[in-house]
Amino acid sequence: MRRVSVDIGGTFTDCFLVYDGQYIEAKALTTHHNLASGFMEALENACAELNLSIGQVLSTVDAVRYATTLGTNALIERNGPRIGLVTTAGFESTVPLMRARGYGDGLAHAEQMDLPGADRPKPLIPMTMIVGIKERIDYKGTVNLSVEEEDVRAQVRKLVDEGCQGFVVALTNAVVNPAHEKEVERIILNEYPTYVLGATPIVLSHRVAGRKAEYSRTMSAILDAYLHDQMYHGMSSLEVALRRNGYARPMLLVHNTSGMAQLNSTHSLQTIHSGPVAGLEATNYLAEQFAEPNVIATDMGGTSFDIGLVTADGVKFYDFNPVIDRWLVSTPMTYLHTLGAGGGSIARFDGLWNAVEVGPESAGSDPGPACYGRGGKLATTTDANLVLGYLDPDNYAGGTIKINRRRAERAIEETVAKPAGLTLIEAAKAIKRKVDANMASAIFKEVAVKGYDPQHFTILSYGGGAPIHACGYAGEIGVAKILIPPFSSVFAALGAGNMNQLHIHEKSLYLMLYDATFRHVLEDYTVFNQTVEELEERGREDLVRQGVDPKDVQTRVEMDMRYGNQLAQVSVMSPSPRLSSPHDVIALLDKFSNNYAQRFGEGSQAPEAGVRINVLRVVSYVEHERLTLERSTASNDDQPKARTERPCYFPQLDDPVPTPVYDHSDVAEGMHLAGPALIETPRTTYLVEPGWNLTMGRMGSAVMVRDA
Amino acid sequence: MGGDQEKSVIEKFLEENVLFLGPDPEIMEDHSLVPASERELEALGNFDDSDKINLVRHKLQTACNESFDMVEQMGAAPGAKWGDLISGVWSMHGDLAMASMGGVLIFSVLTQHPTKFILKYWRDDPTVGLKPGDIFMHNDARYGNIHNTDQSLMIPLFHEGQLICFTGAIVHEGENGACEPGGMPSAAESPFDEGLKMSPILVGEHYEFRRDLMTFLQNSVREPKLQLEGMKSKLFAAMRMKSRIDDIITEYGVDAVIATLRKTMTDTEQETRRRLATWPDGKVRTNLFADGTLRENCLIKIRCELDKRGDELTIDFRGSSPEFLNRANNTVLASLKGMLAQEFLSFVWPDLPRNQAVFAPMKVLTDDRSTLHCSPEAPNAQSMMTFFPSFTAVQIGVPKFLYSAGHRATDIIAGWYNMIVTFIYGGVNQYGELVGNVCADLNGMGGAARWNRDGEHSIAPIFAPMADIGEQELIEEEVPIMKIVPNKLMKDANGFGKFRGGHGYQQIATMKDSSMWGFMCCSIGSKFPTTMGIFGGYAPGCYPLCKVKGVNVFEVMKDRRDLLRYTIEDIMNDQPFPGAKYTTHHMGMQLEFAQPGELFMLTQGSGGGYGDVLEREPEAVSQEYLDALISMNTVKNIYHVVLDEESGAVDLKATEKARKAERKKRIKRGKPYEEFVAQWETEHPPKNLPYYGSWKDRDLIYRGSRDDTCPADAIVPVMMPNPKDVRIAELERELEACKRAAKPRKKAAKARK
Repeated sequence: MRRVSVDIGGTFTDCFLVYDGQYIEAKALTTHHNLASGFMEALENACAELNLSIGQVLSTVDAVRYATTLGTNALIERNGPRIGLVTTAGFESTVPLMRARGYGDGLAHAEQMDLPGADRPKPLIPMTMIVGIKERIDYKGTVNLSVEEEDVRAQVRKLVDEGCQGFVVALTNAVVNPAHEKEVERIILNEYPTYVLGATPIVLSHRVAGRKAEYSRTMSAILDAYLHDQMYHGMSSLEVALRRNGYARPMLLVHNTSGMAQLNSTHSLQTIHSGPVAGLEATNYLAEQFAEPNVIATDMGGTSFDIGLVTADGVKFYDFNPVIDRWLVSTPMTYLHTLGAGGGSIARFDGLWNAVEVGPESAGSDPGPACYGRGGKLATTTDANLVLGYLDPDNYAGGTIKINRRRAERAIEETVAKPAGLTLIEAAKAIKRKVDANMASAIFKEVAVKGYDPQHFTILSYGGGAPIHACGYAGEIGVAKILIPPFSSVFAALGAGNMNQLHIHEKSLYLMLYDATFRHVLEDYTVFNQTVEELEERGREDLVRQGVDPKDVQTRVEMDMRYGNQLAQVSVMSPSPRLSSPHDVIALLDKFSNNYAQRFGEGSQAPEAGVRINVLRVVSYVEHERLTLERSTASNDDQPKARTERPCYFPQLDDPVPTPVYDHSDVAEGMHLAGPALIETPRTTYLVEPGWNLTMGRMGSAVMVRDA
Repeated sequence: MGGDQEKSVIEKFLEENVLFLGPDPEIMEDHSLVPASERELEALGNFDDSDKINLVRHKLQTACNESFDMVEQMGAAPGAKWGDLISGVWSMHGDLAMASMGGVLIFSVLTQHPTKFILKYWRDDPTVGLKPGDIFMHNDARYGNIHNTDQSLMIPLFHEGQLICFTGAIVHEGENGACEPGGMPSAAESPFDEGLKMSPILVGEHYEFRRDLMTFLQNSVREPKLQLEGMKSKLFAAMRMKSRIDDIITEYGVDAVIATLRKTMTDTEQETRRRLATWPDGKVRTNLFADGTLRENCLIKIRCELDKRGDELTIDFRGSSPEFLNRANNTVLASLKGMLAQEFLSFVWPDLPRNQAVFAPMKVLTDDRSTLHCSPEAPNAQSMMTFFPSFTAVQIGVPKFLYSAGHRATDIIAGWYNMIVTFIYGGVNQYGELVGNVCADLNGMGGAARWNRDGEHSIAPIFAPMADIGEQELIEEEVPIMKIVPNKLMKDANGFGKFRGGHGYQQIATMKDSSMWGFMCCSIGSKFPTTMGIFGGYAPGCYPLCKVKGVNVFEVMKDRRDLLRYTIEDIMNDQPFPGAKYTTHHMGMQLEFAQPGELFMLTQGSGGGYGDVLEREPEAVSQEYLDALISMNTVKNIYHVVLDEESGAVDLKATEKARKAERKKRIKRGKPYEEFVAQWETEHPPKNLPYYGSWKDRDLIYRGSRDDTCPADAIVPVMMPNPKDVRIAELERELEACKRAAKPRKKAAKARK
């Protein structure tokens, strides 16, 4: 296998190169002005390890795959085009009002609670760029008021006069009957044909999202249109750079649905958060290869802590209404929970509880922790880690970042220790304990709310900060085993290299499996089967367009079900792809009942209130060859030689403990270390706390197990 | 037998012969924390490390939040879906110690009462008792909570035979079998018209509902499905929380839980006192008026005096309107306190934890049997119609303290819009099910202007952050309501000012695909604004309910699309549908059955303005004009800005001149204070005004006319005539007059014959 996988992150571009059985990791700084530069540099670094030129590698690899944060950055910078929205007359304020609650979407809880201080984000579409056309389709798809061509032309011209550079057409109930959206598209194209210079992209809401809910669907389409140009140009420049260097195949973009596709089959919205999702996909694969049935993926960076789940029952967790930046959308995205906790999280004394609090405010990377000496004066998690002895001031991040212990001490003394009446060390311990507890609580809730017991899970710890805190948060929730993955510093890139080509299509419907009012179980399966067929066809078309042989396309039918009129929509994988008998219906009802009970408790099911399918979803995919990641079974009783030793403080112990410090290159596969111990790598530090034991695995992986 | 002995015998007899255990004033009128018991003090002695307590608190908070998510997901009530609920942990004495971070804050202060009732009356009662596995429910607002549409469920948590705490949840369930569907009947003329009346009741044991009681409850409401799902969701959420607390006890010991719950409350109260102490001492007075009972127009006085001394705040509502014995707008005192707590938890100190201790340093004074402290005989299903304006009276008084306060947790604001402007509905939906509930879009109340910037348009209700107005496509999939206009910002619907309040939106609804469907609405403020601006900012406008009958808009869509209009003002001013009847009303509409295609139109109100309109930045005025949020009339005559009608370009010099001229006019209109008072003050309320409450003398209460008064310490409740009877009497008078007028003509005709 020869494959290049790249994760273009906010700071670093990570590259993972597989070349005839060799696995190479490399990094370069992300170049936001031109992604291709950083991409090529990372690739060049990887090729250098093989003593090959980029051209040699690119001309022979099977595939180049990548995840990117380009879309997220474009949103943050608000430098998208001027978009015009054509919507149903009467619905012009739907987007500006953001379902009321939208002011708080994407914000921390404390900001959401502050109503006097609540501000909606700067809109992507100003009110003057929203027009209503007279048309109406009802919930069943019946046309109540047809589209009138002159009305549409008049409204569209208004937008063009206002400087419109792209259209979004989002009409009521378009997912059940898209005729009006298509008609508006036809009229716009007639007015502004694609061959003229003034042509603008047109995004129809029903093509971006298949669910009912006009606000979140319209926002999905708006984001798609807003990011379209920038994403297209960014991606195209990459493709051009690769072609110039001999790569002749299409590139594959990682999607946030845990799949990937070519540029011609990708909505810009699908690329948002694709890096973290690739990390979770790598977790999925690792769990399979390492025979770890239940894994909690934890990725701690400078400002955030991502949590994802892989479970033995194979349930896929999606977020059907994810918030992207500050915008609620309705496209399915692989579920990841992000907590505002990282090395930059700011610690403070909370006078109300007479206790130390950490986050969610963060010093980020600018000014960063006080110890960075870039102007930050507030104590952060990283400052506490330094004071407690876990970090080496002279060898932090492989010596690339200089950190100053005195600055960290002063910040903790001034902002935490003195107000709390604690000593410096007591305050630093309290910070460590609190940040671990915060992460533990978040993990606990994420796992427990889905009906699983965290104690039955292994924690997978990657990202710059996680291996220092893993023992802390794992211990707090009673998890006894921690896994540090191979190639942990480019773990998301590894995930990108290991995904299937995949598309998800879904459609809202109102299908009563059991109507409690009339005590009737579904007998007519036409709607179910026809909808599945329609969605399968769309998935197949997507893949065939990318050159996939139709014979290789596989599908999975999923649906969102609920009791009565609940909000909860429990995702169920259909036992059979079509309904053909009462047995199929009962099997589906049973499956739903089991899933529901697992999540909310046995006995909580309420079939007496009726059972409904709200959304049908078809996942169409084609399997790709996977990497080989083998778990180490080696045992090596030799003891590695510590490079040095320094006193470390631990929250559970009163006195400092002399802690040996190892360089990762000295700890061979199969070697065992008892905590306390520190293992330093160029990009992170593994902290083995007292009461934990580490065994080194292959390719930089490690397992930490708590004393029984 | 001595005198004392005789007395005790009588007391014993009376104790043993109680007709029934009605709402207990001792419980209902006390919002202070129960003092720490010996057991709690012992636990605090054993578990006193602040950082450890903080960790346990964090775990308890996570449990509350998890439980909240469960109720929100599993519940079927629209209220549950938009977050009109709370889940929490009550101490062993029944005080709410911790609550979920999401949900309705009013409940923070209101959920203690039923729990305390259970402890006081059922715990030792041999026919009820209190043991592990018991499930208690309650919904009667006279025993706690906001109104009967809210249902609460609590389960006790025992450890080694000792009661440690309660866990549970409260949800605005909606339908409750009242005389009108949807759970908030404005037509209720007595508590017995308000549907289910659950005093705290044991509905299950061993964590299972009793089937007979479940059936009874389902049989008592229009939506048996909703009742079932609501009960199950609350029970399983409470059980999940209990199981989490059991885990915490295993990890940290039982003292950790007892100590943390107690310390959370005492620390919160102390923090509130610390913050209050930074306010300047003094008094602030505000008067507001509710302009109707939802059945008729009248002026209902809300008299409010805030008196801050040291670390306490007294909120004095004495002198406010008497109770209405046959109207649903009365407030149980505890509900009023819950709403007032909301002001402090959401709008003054949103960073404080959610528990009842926040309100402990406040004292509330009311007259017995006033509409803000009604008797158990008075209906209260629409208590919001008096406690929302009471909330606003406090909200517009508080900034005067906050300006000089030593501690401010958020922005200073004018009055938030405070009315639930939406449709309550009932009938048979498109799937043949009988349903009744309320639409979520009541949550789009306009935000108040702030000291340094404008308010946000239709952003949140006064009772909950992060509330949702929902998605129209999902609503019309479940009920046969089609919103022709679901939420469109209304031009000039605004509290003007240097910084303006957030606009409200209008909605135009109709019905389709139902054989029987009715709408209700329940707001005041069609004649007198319900919220206010501050420091010179304007109050928002007054908004009527508008109806168009005798039209089927779906026929118009088919045949006469040129007649379609998409704003209330265009429909009501143009009256485009031939033969239709266009009417305006106050926003208290009792259940009215609708024909397909008829239009019902409402306007969500705006927040109040802040500061002088003449100080508003002309560019901000121009932008609002371009966004079609204000008319040229407002630009010219309110803001006195001169701009180009086409481009919106501001003429700064001309604006300066126009504003200068307006300032001169103001000076000319002004008069010395004494002169103003002499002209303004009268001895009595205006003769023809149905006025309720005190006028000059706080101790004298008017009961609808200047001739009908009662002392404030002996209020005589008001009985209102049935509006239909009033109308019949009017028509009879008209008929009589017609007959009288016709008589001479008849005589003359007879004579001619």
